[in-house]
Amino acid sequence: MKRMEHISEEDLIAYQMHEGADERSIHEHLEECAECARVSESIAETLRVFSGGPVPEPDLERNWRRLRGNLSVLSTEPRRFGWLRSHWMWPAAGLAVAALLLVAFIGVHLQHGFVRRPALAVKSHGPLTDQPANPALANHLDAAERLLTEVNNSSGPLDEAAREQAHSLLLKNAVYVHQARTGGDVAEASVLENLGRVLTTIDNESGDNQTANRETVAFRTRDDEALPSNSTLGFRLEMNTSGLLLEIRILRQNDTPQ
Amino acid sequence: MEKVEIDAIRQVLAGDRDAYRVLMDRHFHAVFRVAYRVTGNEADAEEAAQEAFLRAYNKLSSFRQEANFSTWVIRIAMNTSINLVERRNRDLSHYAVRIGDGPEPDRETAQVADRTAGPEQMLLDHEATTLRQEAMAVLTPMERTAFTLRHMEEMPIAEIAAALQVPANSAKQAVFRAVSKLRRALTPVAGGAA
Repeated sequence: MKRMEHISEEDLIAYQMHEGADERSIHEHLEECAECARVSESIAETLRVFSGGPVPEPDLERNWRRLRGNLSVLSTEPRRFGWLRSHWMWPAAGLAVAALLLVAFIGVHLQHGFVRRPALAVKSHGPLTDQPANPALANHLDAAERLLTEVNNSSGPLDEAAREQAHSLLLKNAVYVHQARTGGDVAEASVLENLGRVLTTIDNESGDNQTANRETVAFRTRDDEALPSNSTLGFRLEMNTSGLLLEIRILRQNDTPQ
Repeated sequence: MEKVEIDAIRQVLAGDRDAYRVLMDRHFHAVFRVAYRVTGNEADAEEAAQEAFLRAYNKLSSFRQEANFSTWVIRIAMNTSINLVERRNRDLSHYAVRIGDGPEPDRETAQVADRTAGPEQMLLDHEATTLRQEAMAVLTPMERTAFTLRHMEEMPIAEIAAALQVPANSAKQAVFRAVSKLRRALTPVAGGAA
């Protein structure tokens, strides 16, 4: 060590912070090398300048009052699937199913009761058209359905992959909405707009969690640092996606090549 | 974890919000201290500490009771503090005021040190505080957190690494980088060469 050229700054920092493994040989080197001794002293001075000063005493009572106002009543019952026990959920689900059956019934009768016309002519009647077959849109809807199902069935914050997928789907969805509108397909546009609203919710939620610093990406996505808003995300999505999923499935079925 | 804390968590989970006060009384100071070291001022430290306790509360049902609540909530506080520092850094208007007008009273770290000093000493303290804050602003949130916790709080590298969920060597390198940057930031003032 005595004859080495100079000790690196990193080793000198480790030495000053007692994190190095070879303190004795560095000490001996510093006694002989003025340049390294100067850098070492500069590091020591830096550490002295940034030594820990006193920390003020927080007002516990004030902080508790402020926090207390934000605490919701917790329950040991798992929140997941808690909506199944909601008073309004079963009647709402029943109405949704009835509406779906009615739409299907009308659709079937329209199909058999009228002379077949080109699909463009019946686009505005609802999503249950027998044409067109758009594989790209079908794939988009398929991906959206899988994402919404995943989000609906998860209780924790979204993982990075799901967030990225939501963002990507949102961008594509805007294109499909535009296509549907310009093509005069009001029903398809309507479903896609609903989908866009839900995707926006997911994307905005994840936007809060994104980090500008690459180093902190890893720990921003951990469960235990989830933003409080995550706890409400699932609930909001449950409210918004139950009907939407049905609509997407119908629309996707229509846009899948036969 | 002590029985009183386990009991408090059970009561909270049973719907008794006020039982959370037990955990706050026992750990708020430690959480605030960490937040203060990372954020560098009292107002932000309180905000980050409160947010950490709120997140811990909302996640309490998933907390493993054989674990240490203190370690857990401090870990959350590190992240809320880092997030807050990042938000502040992104908020240009917030930052512009600090640079143009000098440190605000509530953002001072050195003013806590000596309030009985004379005018000259206070002026020097004020300048030193400004220099320190400007130097610390050069650090990334992770460097700042690792450095302050290691150097000021004398927290072991392993503990910092575990809290930040990075390898121990990464945490150590973050500390070293921070020292190197701080030294260079001070060098022009000291008149020496890097």
